[in-house]
Amino acid sequence: MAQPNHNAPDSADRLGGNPLAAAGLSLVVPGSGQYLLGQTTRGLAILAGIGLSIGSILWQNMPTLFVFVAFAWLWNVWDAYSLARKATRSYLPPLFALLMVIYTVGWNITQIEPQKLAQQANRAAPIAHGMLAPDFVERESEFRKERGPFEVHCSDNPPPPTTTLKSGGTITLSATCGEVGDPLHVRAEGLWPNVETEIWWANPIGQEQRVVTPEGQQLIVTTDDTGSFEVDIEVPLAVPLSHDTGEPQLHAVQINQTRIIGGWKISDNGWLVITKMAETIAIALVATTFAVFFAVPLSFVAARNLMSGNPVTVAVYYVTRTLLNIVRSIESLIIAIVFVVWVGLGPFAGVMALTVHSIAALGKLYSEQVESIDFGPIEAVRSTGANWWQTVVYAVLPQVFPPFLAFTIYRWDINVRMSTILGFVGGGGIGFLIVQWQRLSQWEAIGAAFWSIMIIVAVLDYVSAKARERLI
Amino acid sequence: MDNQPWKKSPSPWKYGRSALLAVVIIAAYIYSFRVTELDLPRLVTDFPKAVPILQDFLTPDVLARGEQTESYVINYPVPCGSGQEAEIPDSGPRIVPSVPCSDPKTTITVEGFDLRPDTKVQLRWLLPDGRRLRSARATTDGNGHFNVEVEIRPIVAAKEGNISQLEAELQWESTGLMPSEALKITFAKIVETVFMALMATTFACLVAFPVGFLGARNIMGTGPVGTVVYYIARTIFNLMRSIEALVMAVMFAIWLGFGPFAGVMAMTVVTVASLSKLFSEAIESIDPGPMEAIVAAGGNRLQAIVYAVFPQVIPPFIAFAIYHWDINVRISTIIGFVGGGGIGLQLQTWINQLAYNKAGTAVWAIVIVVTILDNLSSQIRKRLV
Amino acid sequence: MLEIKNLTKVYDDGTVALDNVSFTVQDGEFLVIIGLSGSGKSTLLRCINRLIEPTSGQIILDGVDITAASPAELRRIRRDIGMIFQHFNLVKRSTVMRNVLAGRLGYVNPWLSLLGIFPKEDKERAWKALELVGIAEKAYNRADALSGGQQQRVGIARALMQEPKLLLADEPVSALDPATSHSVLKYIELINRERGVTVMCSLHFLSLARTYATRIIALKDGKMMFDGLPEEIDDQRFKEIYGEEAVRVEVN
Repeated sequence: MAQPNHNAPDSADRLGGNPLAAAGLSLVVPGSGQYLLGQTTRGLAILAGIGLSIGSILWQNMPTLFVFVAFAWLWNVWDAYSLARKATRSYLPPLFALLMVIYTVGWNITQIEPQKLAQQANRAAPIAHGMLAPDFVERESEFRKERGPFEVHCSDNPPPPTTTLKSGGTITLSATCGEVGDPLHVRAEGLWPNVETEIWWANPIGQEQRVVTPEGQQLIVTTDDTGSFEVDIEVPLAVPLSHDTGEPQLHAVQINQTRIIGGWKISDNGWLVITKMAETIAIALVATTFAVFFAVPLSFVAARNLMSGNPVTVAVYYVTRTLLNIVRSIESLIIAIVFVVWVGLGPFAGVMALTVHSIAALGKLYSEQVESIDFGPIEAVRSTGANWWQTVVYAVLPQVFPPFLAFTIYRWDINVRMSTILGFVGGGGIGFLIVQWQRLSQWEAIGAAFWSIMIIVAVLDYVSAKARERLI
Repeated sequence: MDNQPWKKSPSPWKYGRSALLAVVIIAAYIYSFRVTELDLPRLVTDFPKAVPILQDFLTPDVLARGEQTESYVINYPVPCGSGQEAEIPDSGPRIVPSVPCSDPKTTITVEGFDLRPDTKVQLRWLLPDGRRLRSARATTDGNGHFNVEVEIRPIVAAKEGNISQLEAELQWESTGLMPSEALKITFAKIVETVFMALMATTFACLVAFPVGFLGARNIMGTGPVGTVVYYIARTIFNLMRSIEALVMAVMFAIWLGFGPFAGVMAMTVVTVASLSKLFSEAIESIDPGPMEAIVAAGGNRLQAIVYAVFPQVIPPFIAFAIYHWDINVRISTIIGFVGGGGIGLQLQTWINQLAYNKAGTAVWAIVIVVTILDNLSSQIRKRLV
Repeated sequence: MLEIKNLTKVYDDGTVALDNVSFTVQDGEFLVIIGLSGSGKSTLLRCINRLIEPTSGQIILDGVDITAASPAELRRIRRDIGMIFQHFNLVKRSTVMRNVLAGRLGYVNPWLSLLGIFPKEDKERAWKALELVGIAEKAYNRADALSGGQQQRVGIARALMQEPKLLLADEPVSALDPATSHSVLKYIELINRERGVTVMCSLHFLSLARTYATRIIALKDGKMMFDGLPEEIDDQRFKEIYGEEAVRVEVN
């Protein structure tokens, strides 16, 4: 339809500046008018934008969004018309219309429901509390557990009402035998003074259960200055009914006291965090080191300037680059899954996964350095009469060694972050503890892990940034 | 020589420091090699365990032959008299029972004529209550004929006017290759993944753009308030940045429930920190000249920011945002492992089911999408900066 | 004495960089090669120490045919020929000292040198060379911490380490400002006068060539256009060398 018009200033203009033809074309196929007017990028962008929008609307079945597409479509017709008359229109209105489509669809696909953030805040509360009260250190304390015997179903010879405790003090029960549900008055003397004391119940085989208040809370009493307290309880059901033969059974009232005797110490979970955090850093260190041994030779093979000699080396270059790119795009967590099956659960699987991913990542970074080698110094050193080895040591290595080292430190830094999550799939490190504690809702322990990751990674980040600054 | 101080070799302290560093590094390596339980021979001895996974990864479940079916249904009252008997045509594809109706526990012969030749046939009872009951199987011969004995089981008689029916379903593989179920799911999930990254990055940008200014020395000034805000902002950026989005997702998955929203929020939080830091550094490295000019012309600090700082920082900001989108796509491929939605969740499900070739489909999809976005984002960033 | 006989260099892409060039350089000369960019100056200098392999012709240094030398002989010959480069060609991330010591690589035990071990005399020699060019106090700085003029002086010190009979200088000052240019050329002149080292130096500016040269050779499109004393270049010759449209630029 369009005759080539040699008078048109734009040689790519195949519509001869006919506005109606351009508008008509764009009405049928969005962007085609613009394309034929020489605005190829604009035309393709319009087509891609409208096409993608229609596709996602149909897929998500959200027909109301067609309003925005219609707007963009009409704008595109007007734009083609204007372009043919050498006027350029701002692309912002249709861009916003199509962005509206994309974001609405995205909002829908990713199931974003901001109200959940507030509605389910109650679920976040224990998490937040755990973060603010990490279980890393605790007060050094001592613990004592005392029992006063009680018979369920009286025998001929029930225990005496007052039990004298080995570590001092007495427990006196109002009765030392009876039935489940009987009231029982407990009086204790000479215990640790002014300490919150938990009342428990021990059954004949030594299993312990909490004695609870009518509201279902743990019964806690505080001893007075002399270490005494009195409390009324009910004899609880502590043996499954099926095991209750009616024979006398020797139960006991149990008193648990914990008192702080000194300064702070690292809690059990704190120690776990420390050991696993050390393991995390170790995994990263070993993996980065292994990766360097493979990445250095690979980087020379993946450097265009060294491999552009003949078709064989060019082919090797492309194969290496492609492999590096493929492996690099797979997160080490996915690689870890393979290694967990291969070498079993544990840090070794994590090391191997990080190694494989790091070889690819470092190989690429290194090869870019090799590609940017300055040939001047090589020429200069050769001109002094140096041999091949001397040239490598005096002109090539000094150029690549500092950046290689800088990238290696940088990679180690990234690997520490990565190895914090390898445990999610069984690859060792602190991630293992995090998932475990998530299942048990031990948010204080997760808080400890969280803070140690934050602080250690931030410090390593700072140190590695300083080290790299000095190297390059 | 002594009057030339520069000739002196580096101080002994420097050597001592190097030696100390060497000792620390060696100790770190010894500890690390022990604690990571390295067992390199296992890589070889246990390689057979990895072979099936790797094989399946290399042969992903992408295409499947579609299955086509064709079915013929006739009325067949059980017991006799419970409903209308079928009228059997004389020609064309048809199924013919030896008797038009029968009572339970008798055996009849069912024949088929002029059907698709050499095809598997599944006979079924369509019960009056809507249930389907499998019966005999047969295969048609070259002429499209089959002959099979069917036992009449005691079944529910007619209900609300419906009577039992006999169905013969022919099943064969179509010649054309269709995208497999795994590929369809992977496609849907990878789109979800890309969108998760897009939403997280967008939310993060909206927060990081204003917040980034709080961490820029040249904007916050040297007053006491500015200094305090600057240090607090920078500390928060650095700390939050160190947490992997996956660790965040562990918490958001409990708060918001498993699904993409939790993943989006986790990535948003980490991206805000990282983006704010990069952004505040970009603000710090701007040319102060234009700002000076605005202030010299009598403008206040806000005007200086809008007219002199914004134009300088918007291109790097967009570049950082695109870069983070790229990173977030990578992360969202795995955030599903801890309940954050996206392809990771599906990948884990398939791996738990030992469906490694389906998992392979997902992995290849990740490779392709990440590579494309990686190239795209670096192209755009090159143009911007 | 350096003899160049019928030297021709044709690059793989067919460019004729040198076309049958012949001349002789006497010991102790300060020979300056002038000509436009691409006239073959760099190629000529690089053919002399065979950083570029000549296509045909002979180069004879003190009776030894460089063009026929085996790789081992070539390395022995190269250590007698120092070279200074337009872009200094220092290893920017190495220290000044290490860069200067690299000039000694043709002499020292190759295996020890790979470990960075040099004889004590060589270190003393390096200090002397650095003192001569006036940058001894920068010995332990990284090369990229130095200014352009200082870097070129490191280049000169490196060449001095070879104790060369012949010094090739490929546009040693074209990356430097005029004042620095003079200071660098003064050091080269000093080496030429006091140590009797023959210098072959390519330069852009005729004015600089006139100041320092004892003899000038001009190249144009790979051919010798002129060979004579600096004073002999008049306006006519200048136009022949630099083209009709060229204007004399003085650098002082």
